[in-house]
Amino acid sequence: MKYICINCGYIYDPTLGDPTGGIEPGTAFEDLPEDWTCPLCYVTKDNFDPID
Amino acid sequence: MKASVSSLYQAVELSQPIPPLLIGERCNTNGSKKFREMLLADDFDGCLQVALDQEAKGAQVLDICTAYAGRDEKADLKRFFTMLIGSVKLPLMIDSTQPDCIAEILKIYPGRCIINSINLEDGGANLHKVCTLAKKYGAAVVALTINKAGMAMTTAEKVETAQQIYDLAVGEHGLRPQDLLFDPLTFTIGSGDESLHDAAIQTLNAITQIKKQMPGVRTLLGVSNISFGLRPAARKVLNSVFLHEAVEAGLDAAIVDTAKVIPLAQIANEDRDVCSDLIYNRQKNADKNALMAFIDYFEEKGDTDDQDESQQDIAAEKLLGQMVLKSNKDGLDDVLTILLGRYKPLDIINTLLVPAMRYVGELFGKGEILLPFVLQSAEVMKKAVAFLEPFMDKADASDKLKVLLATVQGDVHDIGKNLVDIILTNNGYKVYNIGIKVPAETIIEKAKEYDVDIIGLSGLLVKSAIVMQDSMPQYKEAGLKTPILLGGAALTPKFVAESCVPGHAEPVVYCADAFAGLKAVREFEQGKLEPTVFETKTPATARKTTKNVEIDTNVPVPQTPFLGKRIVTDVDPTALYGYVNEQALFRGRWGYRRGKMTAEEYAMLTKDTVIPIYEKLKERGITENLIQPKVTYGYFKCHSKDESVYVQDGETTYEFAFPRQEFAPNLCIADFFKPETNGGDVAGFFVVTIGEKIGQIAKELFEKDAYHDYLMLHGFGVEVTDALAEYWHEQMRIEMGISAQRPDDVTGFVTQQYQGSRYGFGYPACPDLGAHEHVFKLLDPEDIGVTLTENMEMVPEQTTSAIVAHHPQAKYFAV
Ligand code: B12
Ligand SMILES: [Zn+2]
Repeated sequence: MKYICINCGYIYDPTLGDPTGGIEPGTAFEDLPEDWTCPLCYVTKDNFDPID
Repeated sequence: MKASVSSLYQAVELSQPIPPLLIGERCNTNGSKKFREMLLADDFDGCLQVALDQEAKGAQVLDICTAYAGRDEKADLKRFFTMLIGSVKLPLMIDSTQPDCIAEILKIYPGRCIINSINLEDGGANLHKVCTLAKKYGAAVVALTINKAGMAMTTAEKVETAQQIYDLAVGEHGLRPQDLLFDPLTFTIGSGDESLHDAAIQTLNAITQIKKQMPGVRTLLGVSNISFGLRPAARKVLNSVFLHEAVEAGLDAAIVDTAKVIPLAQIANEDRDVCSDLIYNRQKNADKNALMAFIDYFEEKGDTDDQDESQQDIAAEKLLGQMVLKSNKDGLDDVLTILLGRYKPLDIINTLLVPAMRYVGELFGKGEILLPFVLQSAEVMKKAVAFLEPFMDKADASDKLKVLLATVQGDVHDIGKNLVDIILTNNGYKVYNIGIKVPAETIIEKAKEYDVDIIGLSGLLVKSAIVMQDSMPQYKEAGLKTPILLGGAALTPKFVAESCVPGHAEPVVYCADAFAGLKAVREFEQGKLEPTVFETKTPATARKTTKNVEIDTNVPVPQTPFLGKRIVTDVDPTALYGYVNEQALFRGRWGYRRGKMTAEEYAMLTKDTVIPIYEKLKERGITENLIQPKVTYGYFKCHSKDESVYVQDGETTYEFAFPRQEFAPNLCIADFFKPETNGGDVAGFFVVTIGEKIGQIAKELFEKDAYHDYLMLHGFGVEVTDALAEYWHEQMRIEMGISAQRPDDVTGFVTQQYQGSRYGFGYPACPDLGAHEHVFKLLDPEDIGVTLTENMEMVPEQTTSAIVAHHPQAKYFAV
């Protein structure tokens, strides 16, 4: 499932991962490290909402 | 010996051959919404009609109550009684707690009436006055079994209280026993409250015993209380069965809605059994108590409720809680008026309102409800407290815990602190909100002046965090014995624990949001507040980071239409709406998060609630001229050297220094501008603002306690400001001829699907807000009404600045 950053609107798409943050494509949002932050605005994981 | 009451036209025996004597309850401001509304509208003809209707429906006496906060009870009673005396044949019952009101009516009443009511709550002062009047005018009196300790709950207490009243009324005042109507009180058996399981039994037994112990007296009950909290259709049946049981126990009179009493014969045996099981608390089913069985039974039967009645039939106590929870203000004053007849104002706050708000907070914490709804609940709370305040003693207010709130020196951020104010105030604490940009000296002075228990400081800037750290010893030296709560975006638990806690002698506590603040205040009350400690977590898992990238130093320098600065004041506000980051607005600024909702539920919420708010604000933004976009921007020759960009404005060179990432790809903003050796480059800058109007209106909303609208308007302003920055950045790309790649939608803008980047000062890649000093020299934002605070914040609040890079590899990154 995709997740959206409530602070800036960035969308975490597990099929893409987060290359700048060292997250491999195929990583589910739930499996992101607890200290992972939004690559655009740097807020923490709890500031993300599931979408679709 | 017989006793009767009478009107001008007829006398009615208090003991009917076929009991009970039915007393109509509808002419009562506390019990009937319809009646109350007519009275408030001074529609006395309408009020009279309510009386006549009851007469037609079989009432034998009418209860009349016109008490309503803010109205002249005596004048209303007198006017209404004057009309009733001439038009209604039935004897009347004066329902008032005020001896002077009662006296006024007794003087004009031509027959013999009933006074409702006396009790021993105040130890007997009122009772003496009313009994004196009753004796003088020969009235009958209703006596409630309430004593100094409150409402009598058990049979023994009820009988004992009745005996005490009897001794005074009969013994001292010489009333006849048959002129007394004892009401041993009915409590609901429909709420599931453990302590009330046998409430009906206690009341029924009291009826029998009072009559046995005090021969000659009568008994009376307000029957419908028995079923508060249940569905209207089920209530009708239960009330009628209970009335029947009460009559069996010896009841003489009942205050009822005569239109709703169902003759026992018309009640099916099965219905009747379920009701008496509940009344006598008989559990017949191992896994269902009598109440559950009752509810399930009537649920299955599926009788439809009378819609108009369902609202007022719920117990006022429960209704008030629901009004807070569902943020419903309609009829709030009415419910409070009813409750004021039962409780002290402070008790309404502490035992009904505060727990309701606490519950709202808990639901928010669990993600069950969203921030905008919490604010709406707080509005209901605020309104309720404002209504109750005039009825409170000064002393009531002064024993609340006191909290001082301020945004620290040099920082203009208001809304975070104000949200904390809203949440604390509406959880029953006294808040002194002394504003923004407050120096520590003033905070100390005010803390002493108001003798507060806790200080809360807010600040969103990195600079503010430093201000907090530096001022801790000042609070300590000033001898303040108050703990200090700290909140705002630039703080972390680590910073607070390591840099602030050691400076002050009392606990210093990091609060992530307003509810963390509430939790801290509660802990303080319980003597459990501890300073923030920071436990180093296991170091972050080393992650593969992007390899070093090569930044192209031969990107062609765009042709800018001019060098230097320009001002633009004719931006069309409607042009900005297409750039608004709606997701950030709805979910982030406004707090309409998806939380535990399904995708469909969230889509519904968005469609039905959020979008309409947004559309309305967009419209107001234009019609009320809330958005007044102004821009100052420019292009300047520049070159980079190491981590700095040197910007040329005429003869003057300004150095902008930027940090470099300490990890791959080790980026620095300076990398995106060509060094002198490669011919130098051009840098763009802008300062944009939507003006101060929106901030002013938001402030007014906060002051008017329109919390929800305050959050909505503030958030809207924030995102429109950002939209203006996004819009203007695009105009600059167009001017520079680098706009070939245009994002398809707002998400495309968010993720920078365009050439170049804008970096806001104070954000991670260019954290030094001090650079604003240079920006202000380059662009003269004063010309569009923007000034700088000593902490390098821009005023008005809804302003933003940036340096613009055209380099195709320039994107956001963190340092
Ligand atoms: C919205 C926003 C804006 C908006 C509106 C600003 C405004 N004042 O309304 C706009 C787009 C205009 C803006 C502009 C800028 N911003 Co800005 N902005 C934010 C953002 C994203 C949210 C702020 C906000 O309104 N939050 C909502 C309120 C309700 O939350 P809050 O204030 O944090 O309060 C809650 C808690 O913190 C806590 N709390 C707060 N105080 C207290 C006190 C107590 C006692 C307790 C118990 C709890 C408590 O409870 C509150 C309610 O739950 C923050 C980042 C962030 N995550 O906070 C950056 C942020 C504040 N901005 C920042 C910056 C740099 C800027 C700019 C300088 C950027 C630029 N170069 O233009 C400008 C400056 C604007 C100016 N006028 O000077 C930085 C500041 C850092 C720094 N270097 O000092 C931040 C922290 C972003 C970041 N991560 O770097 N910004
Ligand atoms: Zn983000």
